[in-house]
Amino acid sequence: MNFAIRYLTEYRYESPVTDNLNALRVKPATMATQSVEDFVVRVDPEARLNRHLDYFGTQVIEFGISRPHDHLSIDVRARVQTSTPAEPLDTDWEAIEDRAYDAAAGEFVLPVGPEPDHLILDELVGDTRGESPLATLRRMVEVIPDRFEYRAGVTYVGSTVGDLLAAGAGVCQDFAHLALLLLRRHGIGARYVSGYLWAPSTDDEASAEVETHAWIEALLPNGSGGLTWIAADPTNRTLGGESHVKIGHGRQYADVPPIKGVYRGAAGSSLSASVRMTRSDVTPISSP
Amino acid sequence: MLARIAHELYWIGRQLARAEHTSRMLDGVFHADLQGRPDDPAGVRLSWDALLTIVSGEPPDDAASRDQVLRLLTLDPEHPTSVLNCVTRAREGARTVRDVFSGEMWETINTFHLGLLQRNVSAALQTGPYSVYAYVRERCGQFWGVTGRTMLRDEAYAFLQAGAAIESADMVLRMLRVALPLGGEGAEAHLRDGQALALLQAVGGFQAYRRAVPAPPNAGPVARFLLFERDYPDSVAFSIEALHNALTAADPAYRDSPAVLRLSRMVADLDFQARSAEIDGGLGDMLEDVQFELARVHSDVAQRYFGGAVQPVAAPLA
Amino acid sequence: MAALEALGPEALTQAGQRRDAIFMQQGITFDAGGPGSGAVRDRPFPLDLVPRIIPADEWNQIKRGLAQRIRALNHFVDDVYHAREIIHDGKVPWQLVVSRPAFARAAHGIRPPGGVYCHVSGCDLVRDANGAWKVLEDNVRTPSGISYVLENRRAMTRLLPALFEHYRVRPVDHYPALLRTALEEVAPTGGEEEATVVVWTPGPYNSAYFEHAFLARQMGVELVEASDLVVRDSVCHIRTTRGLQRVHAIYRRIDDDFMDPLEFRPDSVLGVPGLMRAYRAGSVAIVNAVGTGVADDKAIYHYVPEMIRYYLGEEPIVENVPTYLMSDREQRAWVLERLDQVVVKPTSESGGKGVFIGPSASDEEIAAQAAEIKREPERWIAQDLVKLSTVPTAQPDGGLAARHVDLRPFAVFGDDIRIVPGGLTRVALREGSMIVNSSQGGGSKDTWVLEADDTPMPHPAPHAWSSPRMPELPMGGSWSSQQQQQQQ
Repeated sequence: MNFAIRYLTEYRYESPVTDNLNALRVKPATMATQSVEDFVVRVDPEARLNRHLDYFGTQVIEFGISRPHDHLSIDVRARVQTSTPAEPLDTDWEAIEDRAYDAAAGEFVLPVGPEPDHLILDELVGDTRGESPLATLRRMVEVIPDRFEYRAGVTYVGSTVGDLLAAGAGVCQDFAHLALLLLRRHGIGARYVSGYLWAPSTDDEASAEVETHAWIEALLPNGSGGLTWIAADPTNRTLGGESHVKIGHGRQYADVPPIKGVYRGAAGSSLSASVRMTRSDVTPISSP
Repeated sequence: MLARIAHELYWIGRQLARAEHTSRMLDGVFHADLQGRPDDPAGVRLSWDALLTIVSGEPPDDAASRDQVLRLLTLDPEHPTSVLNCVTRAREGARTVRDVFSGEMWETINTFHLGLLQRNVSAALQTGPYSVYAYVRERCGQFWGVTGRTMLRDEAYAFLQAGAAIESADMVLRMLRVALPLGGEGAEAHLRDGQALALLQAVGGFQAYRRAVPAPPNAGPVARFLLFERDYPDSVAFSIEALHNALTAADPAYRDSPAVLRLSRMVADLDFQARSAEIDGGLGDMLEDVQFELARVHSDVAQRYFGGAVQPVAAPLA
Repeated sequence: MAALEALGPEALTQAGQRRDAIFMQQGITFDAGGPGSGAVRDRPFPLDLVPRIIPADEWNQIKRGLAQRIRALNHFVDDVYHAREIIHDGKVPWQLVVSRPAFARAAHGIRPPGGVYCHVSGCDLVRDANGAWKVLEDNVRTPSGISYVLENRRAMTRLLPALFEHYRVRPVDHYPALLRTALEEVAPTGGEEEATVVVWTPGPYNSAYFEHAFLARQMGVELVEASDLVVRDSVCHIRTTRGLQRVHAIYRRIDDDFMDPLEFRPDSVLGVPGLMRAYRAGSVAIVNAVGTGVADDKAIYHYVPEMIRYYLGEEPIVENVPTYLMSDREQRAWVLERLDQVVVKPTSESGGKGVFIGPSASDEEIAAQAAEIKREPERWIAQDLVKLSTVPTAQPDGGLAARHVDLRPFAVFGDDIRIVPGGLTRVALREGSMIVNSSQGGGSKDTWVLEADDTPMPHPAPHAWSSPRMPELPMGGSWSSQQQQQQQ
């Protein structure tokens, strides 16, 4: 699929602020099933943009605005082409039970920080256990949305898995964090993915207002002795496909937040953010 | 130097000058109070209420007793301008500027503070406050002596001096405004003359006055002495000039400094007033004007030197 | 020792009283309250008046061993944030590295000026019962204690000058100059301007604030807090009375986590936003470099001898104490059977916190420790109990008794590695105790490294000076009576 993505974020401050420093992780990644044809970031007030790749390989764009200002807009435009990943192959559990797998999975198989001490986690581990790692991944994307309600507003950006368990509801970020915790308990290396998801409300739309999205990738044997990261979306009960446009990955949300910033000034601020994705490879269906 | 350190130094200077003036004043009034008789109009009557007014800016709600005021202004850790509080804050400040203080300066201020916390200080305040105030005077003197002897004459020194100078000027102005209020004739004038003498003794300037001024220490000449005498180190004119010199030393672009410009004008004004026989508009107005200007100098200083470029100026993108 | 005996117990006791008075007056104190106890309680740092003597030949071996170790640790830090060769070659497991809390992902791919990461290190050494020196712990984050080394020496020369007359003791007071030189050497000035160097402290309420201020003063540089630093256009500045001034090197005494809220903890208010941006741009040197903590983790310690062989192709000059990783199943099982004989330490704590000493533990404590290890094996290591060597130590009555000691020498790495002779000797003041941390009842000693050729110093010849005498006041000479004229 071909997409034009526009991700526009606007902050307004009640009184002027200074030294506004931000780090963006918004550029779609380049990989086998995804290529970036065009990518532009505009910041107002104007600022010099510095780019580097972080530890996880995500491009980070940093900028600072020192002079007093009462608004900040970050306008990101990208054109991306995606293709459907190859169908993953099924292998048995033994394929991931050796030191070579642990070495390849590295930190993605280790717990991140202290975990909530809930019996329900043990129960979920049991419920998601499948015949094979791949079967487990497929069960994962069903069990989580079965057991938890997708509802915005009950959790916030800093919520933990414990918060999701307590509330019984959450959003894609929480679902992804829970899936990661469970997969790691199964001994499967798993990482958090931040990106954009093409999710039109009807099938025939060519353009849709969406939001940044989170899913996961699990490290599975590919049958030919190698290992492959397989994307899975526990919010949408599906494995990753050409609708998923990946920005980057990490152990958890905090490793790949789309925008992170600080500024000097006690002023309150209001935020509006929108992501619009437009299919550029289909002609819009003209209304009758 | 660091804006934060300059700010700290300025306040150490202010706190110590305030501690010294407060204790000199308490000592002076204590002794005057012992000798004064309420029925003697010429007796010294720089009252305890007046003292509270001087240090806190407004008269107390109820008439204050001697012991209350002594305790409050000397050792009350809660009172913002008690001697103990000033020294404690100066010592806390000194902790953070230890790299610009000489080792001896830190030791002096640290020992000064430890001494005030001794239990027997509280007892001494009841039996004979003189020893407590003598201790504070000596330690302040020691601090400024050690400072003069061991501290590099750099920007840090200048800000420390600036703080001490502005506080000294401010304290003396406050004393003059409370102790020698406006006009008045006859018996009132006698009263003011008595207070003038107490004031002079309180700031430790009696001998200097005797050597510099032939007139008896009555209200008029004492006020002029404490305001204008540029050779007396605790006069307003001397302090303002010291403040001017300190900022000039600290700031290589002092010609652009609003604080320095304002101070130059004040020095010239005071000089002019000193030469004229009568003060236009009376002493009270004059004192009020000078104090008002000093407050503006204080905010000029804060803005120019302690802001540390928090407010950035628009910088073009390269 | 003869010199000490000549002094006698009374002189020693009196010198001890003078010591406490001087330390209090100068504010050479540490916070005895400990974290979470609220108010800061100042206590004089307990200096034992009997110096610890290290002969020249022993010191040379220590010095070479430390330099070798620091070089290897420095290679390791560079490696784990770049090529990871030691990992690929199977010498150190990657999962162990990435699971260290001090592993700093933000430091990935950043190579500081000169490739130096471990600018300041203070490894803890012990001398075992057989007289062999061993490394007990590495410390390449923000080791503290050097100020006590210098103050102890100053206090000793004031309190007991007579002791120095019989030995040629190598001086230690050039440390601040060494540190400043190293900071200037790594400061990226582009060779055009003079380097501006600062010491960054968390503030007066930090337990090591005295040392931060001490070092800034001794080096003649600014002591800054986070609020003094500001990053604009990828360059770090200090806020001065004359506006912003560029900073080239920061000797920071603050943990990685609190440096830059943009990269590390977003809840940290202590940091300087954008500092990592400036660091990555190469406009400022951070000393020690970001992420060095991965190398002194107690679980990584186990691999240091291997690092020395791997990176330097040498055998370790100073050895490790045998260490067992609790994350390893076999080693864990072996240790759990011998908990009453070993020392167990948490891998990521410092200052002796959470250390379990088997031989002095009760059955319940042993059971509790075993449960802890089983619950979170990766958090713990175990070591053979080293019987620390003892040295004579002054008692309150002025007598001497044997007490256990360790040694923390300080090394500075700029263009080269330089080590101050001696270091901080910490002493367990209670009889039989092996805990030397000052927060837990330990004290310190002045540490003397003697010149190789230890002949007594000749006394300097007395100078043939005499004080100028007070001149006569020129009052016009003595009085004479005018010759009188007789009236005739």
